[in-house]
Amino acid sequence: MNFEAIIGLEIHVEMKTHTKMFSSAPIKFKAEPNTNITYLDLAYPGSLPRVNKNAVINAIRVCNALHMEIDDTLYFDRKNYFYADLPKGYQITQQFRPIGQKGYLEIDVDGEKKRIKVERLHMEEDTAMQHHYSDYTLLDYNRAGIPLVEIVSYPEIRNGKEARKYVEKIKEIVTYLDVSDGKMENGSLRCDVNISLRPYGSDKFGTKVEVKNLNSTANIEAAIDFEMSRQAACLLKGIEIHQETRRFDELKKETVLMRTKTEAADYKYFSEGNIPPIFIGKDFINRAIETSNELYDQKLERFLNEYKLNEVDARILLSSKELSIYYDEAVKNNDNYQQIANFIISEVLGYLNKNEIEISNFNVKPDDISDLVNLLIKKEINSKQGKDIFAKMIETNKSPLVLKEEMGATIISDPEKIRTDIIEIIKENPTLPDDYKNGKTRAQGFVMGLLMKKNKGKVDPILANKLIVEELLK
Amino acid sequence: MKEVNKNVLKDAALRLMFDMKDEEYETLLNEFDIIIKQLVLMDEIKGLNDIEPMSFPYIDESFNLLRDDEEIKETLLNKEEVLNIAKNTKEGQIKLPKVVN
Amino acid sequence: MEKELHVLDLTIEEIHSHLLNGDVKVSDLVKKAIERVKKDEFNAFEAYNFEEALKEAEELDKEEVPSDNLLFGIPYICKDNLSTKGIETTGGSNILNGYIPLFDATVVTILKEKKAVLIAKATLDELAMGGSGKSGHKGIQLNPYDENKESLIGGSSSGSAVAVASSVTPFALGSDTGDSIRKPASFGGLVGYKPTYGLISRFGLYPFSVSLDHVGYFTRSVDDAALLFDTLNKFDENDFTSSIKERKAIYPIKNNEKRKICVIKEVIDSIKDEDILSRFNYLVENLKKEGYLVDYVSVDPSILKAIYPAYIIISSAEATSNNANLDGIKFGNLKEGNSYPEVMFNTRNEGFSELIKRRFILGSYALMSENQEEVYLKAKKVRRVVVNTFNELFEKYDAFIGPASPTVAPKINQASDNFDDTYLIADNYLAIGNFGGYPSITIPLGIKDDKMPFGVSITSPIFKDEDTFIIAKDCENILKMKNLSTKTKSIILKNMKEAQ
Repeated sequence: MNFEAIIGLEIHVEMKTHTKMFSSAPIKFKAEPNTNITYLDLAYPGSLPRVNKNAVINAIRVCNALHMEIDDTLYFDRKNYFYADLPKGYQITQQFRPIGQKGYLEIDVDGEKKRIKVERLHMEEDTAMQHHYSDYTLLDYNRAGIPLVEIVSYPEIRNGKEARKYVEKIKEIVTYLDVSDGKMENGSLRCDVNISLRPYGSDKFGTKVEVKNLNSTANIEAAIDFEMSRQAACLLKGIEIHQETRRFDELKKETVLMRTKTEAADYKYFSEGNIPPIFIGKDFINRAIETSNELYDQKLERFLNEYKLNEVDARILLSSKELSIYYDEAVKNNDNYQQIANFIISEVLGYLNKNEIEISNFNVKPDDISDLVNLLIKKEINSKQGKDIFAKMIETNKSPLVLKEEMGATIISDPEKIRTDIIEIIKENPTLPDDYKNGKTRAQGFVMGLLMKKNKGKVDPILANKLIVEELLK
Repeated sequence: MKEVNKNVLKDAALRLMFDMKDEEYETLLNEFDIIIKQLVLMDEIKGLNDIEPMSFPYIDESFNLLRDDEEIKETLLNKEEVLNIAKNTKEGQIKLPKVVN
Repeated sequence: MEKELHVLDLTIEEIHSHLLNGDVKVSDLVKKAIERVKKDEFNAFEAYNFEEALKEAEELDKEEVPSDNLLFGIPYICKDNLSTKGIETTGGSNILNGYIPLFDATVVTILKEKKAVLIAKATLDELAMGGSGKSGHKGIQLNPYDENKESLIGGSSSGSAVAVASSVTPFALGSDTGDSIRKPASFGGLVGYKPTYGLISRFGLYPFSVSLDHVGYFTRSVDDAALLFDTLNKFDENDFTSSIKERKAIYPIKNNEKRKICVIKEVIDSIKDEDILSRFNYLVENLKKEGYLVDYVSVDPSILKAIYPAYIIISSAEATSNNANLDGIKFGNLKEGNSYPEVMFNTRNEGFSELIKRRFILGSYALMSENQEEVYLKAKKVRRVVVNTFNELFEKYDAFIGPASPTVAPKINQASDNFDDTYLIADNYLAIGNFGGYPSITIPLGIKDDKMPFGVSITSPIFKDEDTFIIAKDCENILKMKNLSTKTKSIILKNMKEAQ
């Protein structure tokens, strides 16, 4: 029997705001424990929540990228449960009226496009960070209250690869919008997978298993693929699938049981009385969207249409948001789009990849790349000199114009000077014109070699070749 | 509606992280009798079912304020004071017996 | 009873003029208030602020008394469910024993800026969740009017009511979720006020049921209540339910223009006490003489009878969540355990009294997914029916008035916080003010058998707080009971008799 997997993803994304979702405590990465906190984060009696405007704006932008219907009034609810990391004993969330509903995401799987419907996006808050030790646990409340959006897909994903593409796309959206770091490895993007199998053709759903603790998109794919074969093997052997929560063991590359779900928890949701419905209105929503950063797809379109790049080059430049911004900066005052793209792709990326450096840590300014490409285009330097100057730029942080002077990197392109040199060379080797005319084309290269030697390689090669041929044919 | 009996109420209590004495559950069961009678009496109110539940005394635009995303230094808590208020602490954090999932 | 009145026995307005004249110093007032707190026989206090208060008083003695700040140097008491920085604030619950907050409630901050002097924290029903003044961890608060010490003052703002009724201070802060200021005000012969929801900040108020909770206060005159209203009626960005509407000063209270008020027949019909009824009639007749239009209107009794159960269900349900932060981990009276659930369980099991536990279980039951529609949401529907009904009445009337309680203060063994099958409309209708967020005031109406006081309550539409005060002041003028306290009772009785 063949099985079809029914997979739904719940993704939590930590928003990149200055302060928390409901409190004015700052959010600082790697801050000393319990220093980014205020009354509400510890749930001191009498403290009250206040909704962060930027967190709302960020949520709207993500909703828009997911083609969602966006509510013009905000409603908040409480999810009630007791847990060590939950200071208030409830989490403020949007259970009954999420800010975004009914969206979709288009993913590209092996050249085929597939639309995954997105059920909802809601705003909520993070819990405190637990640090577990051998016989105790320590709590750091810096994370408590950091804004989150939760994005819930419909169960329309069918395999690990689709899931990976879906998560990568979400990550791309939140990073391009600059609303989140979107880093799975440090928890700013977290993904829970719900997966069940059913025989092909069946319209019933099987028992759902939840997989947690997935810290990379590769692990999501691997966990799902493992889980699909595990569940299929069980079903074929007639073993019942239990409703349970599993986690992915990275070393063994398999999912292992965390806990069995005895019964569904009752979170006793009800409306958050401290936050009355907030009417934000269509204008607010439109402004948030209009002032939003470009998405990957929008940027791609611009690179193709405005910069006239080919799709392969454009996608390379878009492979990270930082790189695309770097390119945008480089072409800001220089419309040699293709040449700059070529230089960045071959020279800049070549260097970065070889030395495993992130573009964000690259010391050469995009303006300097633009100037360097200009020197090449104007033939003030040749490509060999271009490479040398580029290497020196990295080393010294100096501008290419300064380096060109310092390194004496000029190019001889005065035809009269070149011609005089050629004539002199031919005079010293008088057989050359006849050799050339008799079909010994090597003669041309021989002259060029001597010419370059004479001028320390600084002769414009194209011009020189043209003149050599002219003189040899005389 | 869930049946009201001692087991249901005890289960609810344990989920709220406390318990009561047997006679206290008896008192509570009696109170439930009264409350449930009064709940039934609510049905005498005409058109109650068609009414939207009310969560706020009134709603008007006078509540429409979002907070600017700016840190407020004056309300930032001092770590030492926070730890001083909590009973069990260690290494700048609040300490609990080991939490197992 | 003291023969000679002390300045502290006067109203805020009067004390202020004595301060201005220089015939009393702030430190005299503060010392007297501290002395009275120390002599308290009614079990009204939790934590004390004596040292700070004396220090502040000495500083204030050096300052010139400003004629435009009537609260300058006025001692006051604060209910112990309002957060006070550096002063233990337990909410009357063992679970918070030892908790010293790091911040002041907004109302406390405002009073600090106004240089009023906090003397002590007043005890209350545990977490403000009772109505008797019996359930707090300090035990029962007694009614100072009962010389035999057999009567209650009522709650949950029991200690605050005792403090003002026995003239410890001229005003005290309280909170009102169902009638927690206005009911004890009735039993204590006080002016008790709760404003329109959203006008006085709830920041720093320990939450019970946040859409019903109001911060308010007790005074002994309507003018004092009005001047406090102007002081505390401020937008507060820390409270998301704080109204951004522009504030307008209402003190000194304007003269009456012709006003239309109504009396709910069913409320009156449910009252048996002839003294209360006749005194209420006296008030109504005199209001008419003053030019008031007073109509007796009927409200569907099934709606009125649903108020209390709806109130209990909504408030208990929300209280389970509002108090879920009390687990001992971050603050409060932690009880050790071998695992974190054990720590939470031990802390909560030992920290809450039986009454609180029963309310939490009821509330939790109401919120369970299989019950929500039929219990919690049903109660919230009742809330809307009630509010719609009274909003409709308010289209015709500036206020509704009625006795604030059907009886005088109950005896200790007569009242409990357990549910009762005998249902009295007049005992529970004040929660209408919380359902709709209406401004509502209790002022003294009469004194039964020259012993125990009782009050009348006036409720107006939202944001019409000024109307409430205007009508209350007219009533106060008629009733001649301004500045009633155990210290002034004999004088007041004399004045009342002369007027009648």
